[in-house]
Amino acid sequence: MILLLWKKELESYFTSPLAYVLIGLFSLISGTFFFNLLVTYTDGIQAIPQHLAQEISFVEEVVLRLFANINFLFLIFIPLITMKLFSEEKRLETLDLYWLSPLREWQVVVSKGLAALSLIIAMLFMTVLFPLIIWGVGVRDFSLLGSAYLSVILNACCYISLGLFCSSLSGNQIIAGLLSILGIMFLWMLTWGGHLNSNYLVAEIFSYIGITSHFERIIRGLIGTQDILYYASFVFLFGFLSVKSLGRRNW
Amino acid sequence: MNKILVVDGITKEYPGRTAVSNISFEVLKGSIHGFLGPNGAGKSTTMRMIAGLMPPTSGSMTLFGETIHPEKLALKNMIGLLPENAPLYLDMPVEKYLTLVARLHKVKNVRDKVDKVMSDLNLLEVRKRLIGNLSKGYKQRVGLAQAIVYDAPFLILDEPTNGLDPQSVVELREFIKNLAQDKTILFSTHVLPEVEQLCDQITIIHQGKIRASGDLKEIHRKFRQGLVLKVGVRADETLPDLSELGKYEITHEHIVGQEKQYDLVFEADLDCRTEIGKLVLSRGLHLLTLQVESPELEDIFLHMTELKK
Repeated sequence: MILLLWKKELESYFTSPLAYVLIGLFSLISGTFFFNLLVTYTDGIQAIPQHLAQEISFVEEVVLRLFANINFLFLIFIPLITMKLFSEEKRLETLDLYWLSPLREWQVVVSKGLAALSLIIAMLFMTVLFPLIIWGVGVRDFSLLGSAYLSVILNACCYISLGLFCSSLSGNQIIAGLLSILGIMFLWMLTWGGHLNSNYLVAEIFSYIGITSHFERIIRGLIGTQDILYYASFVFLFGFLSVKSLGRRNW
Repeated sequence: MNKILVVDGITKEYPGRTAVSNISFEVLKGSIHGFLGPNGAGKSTTMRMIAGLMPPTSGSMTLFGETIHPEKLALKNMIGLLPENAPLYLDMPVEKYLTLVARLHKVKNVRDKVDKVMSDLNLLEVRKRLIGNLSKGYKQRVGLAQAIVYDAPFLILDEPTNGLDPQSVVELREFIKNLAQDKTILFSTHVLPEVEQLCDQITIIHQGKIRASGDLKEIHRKFRQGLVLKVGVRADETLPDLSELGKYEITHEHIVGQEKQYDLVFEADLDCRTEIGKLVLSRGLHLLTLQVESPELEDIFLHMTELKK
């Protein structure tokens, strides 16, 4: 059933211009970021003595910054994808089709979430070109590439689950989209709020609840149990809330 | 006959208003049950509750002896619903959409079943077209197709002929009639002649309350207020005194073209058409009309819904 709905959702992305516009726009913007970072890096190492230039890490200056920027792009791109997932179906009353069938709410939530994640992975797939270009010009340091991809995919999972929940709350796409953007910004601000607080315990709690500290660890390949636990519980919590929100019509 | 659906004391309350209040009715196996009521009477709310799409505030409903509840997944393959707004994915082709619905209900031989439904509803010529590009008539047929593609034995059709052209209405009515050969249908409409053509059982709902429910003929009989005899003579003639036949009252008198018509009600519902005929003719008058008037469903409906002042 999940596979059936996942396929239906994915087809609906690719039968409308939305998926192509998003993939094109994402490739253009991330490509521009990559180009600028590369130019800044090469200009930087040419402007300083060679023994110092060796100290500047390519991965640190280009790869990690690029993926941090991609994470930033998700603030807009993921709510654009998730905002319509439930709200449009609520408005058109097409969810009735699922509730009249032996499907359960969680199956609908999971399949919609997986389809949105598939679209994000398709978007990220375009960025595989960047390491290939770097390989072509002789750079061989790709040490953190895998963890960088993992970090943005894990963040995408969180943003998608948050977006699904926001979409399940309202029959208005714009409201759902704005709620998702505010939610993601709030997640980022929690970590920043933690940095600003002088109380160690409060700072640690804020830092753990916020997503940025986990992202920063994983992107550097420092994957800890608490990070995996954080992402898993985040996705599960908002998935659960979406199921409950959809189930409000129920007994 | 077996009771397929038993609605027992259902109430649905929203903040600040009651949509339906303590309604009870039954739908018998193999019947086409008409569900009548003016706009806002609570028809769609009741139908959505029966389909398990929303919970009642109180009361109980049983379908095939099982209490209706969304957790009872087996019941979901037993109910086909065509709601007022059919749940159509406008960006999907007809065939793909029906295949999706059939797969959601785990239908065996999906391809055969979808082909058969499309053929029955004359959808084959538009099978590859996007639903959003179809006319209202075709969309309504696709909506009906999704309700029957998984062979549910109980169908709920919420105003299925609403907004269709006359030819589509006739075709759809005929199709619904054929469906009733092996299914039970709960069917709401505003078109009263449609009810008389299709339904054997009806329920009239108004302001969230049931005003009448049961066999259509029974309801006709129950709401016949005295046996009305319609007698017509030429417009320049006057009906003679009929007191020798029994005590009577002329309830209505009017001229239709070249004819003067009288509505008479005799005491004890006396049907004395033979005697009236003989008397009128014996006075040398021209008898143009002589018939028993039974109230139209429309009269009953208007009376029930208090729209007739």
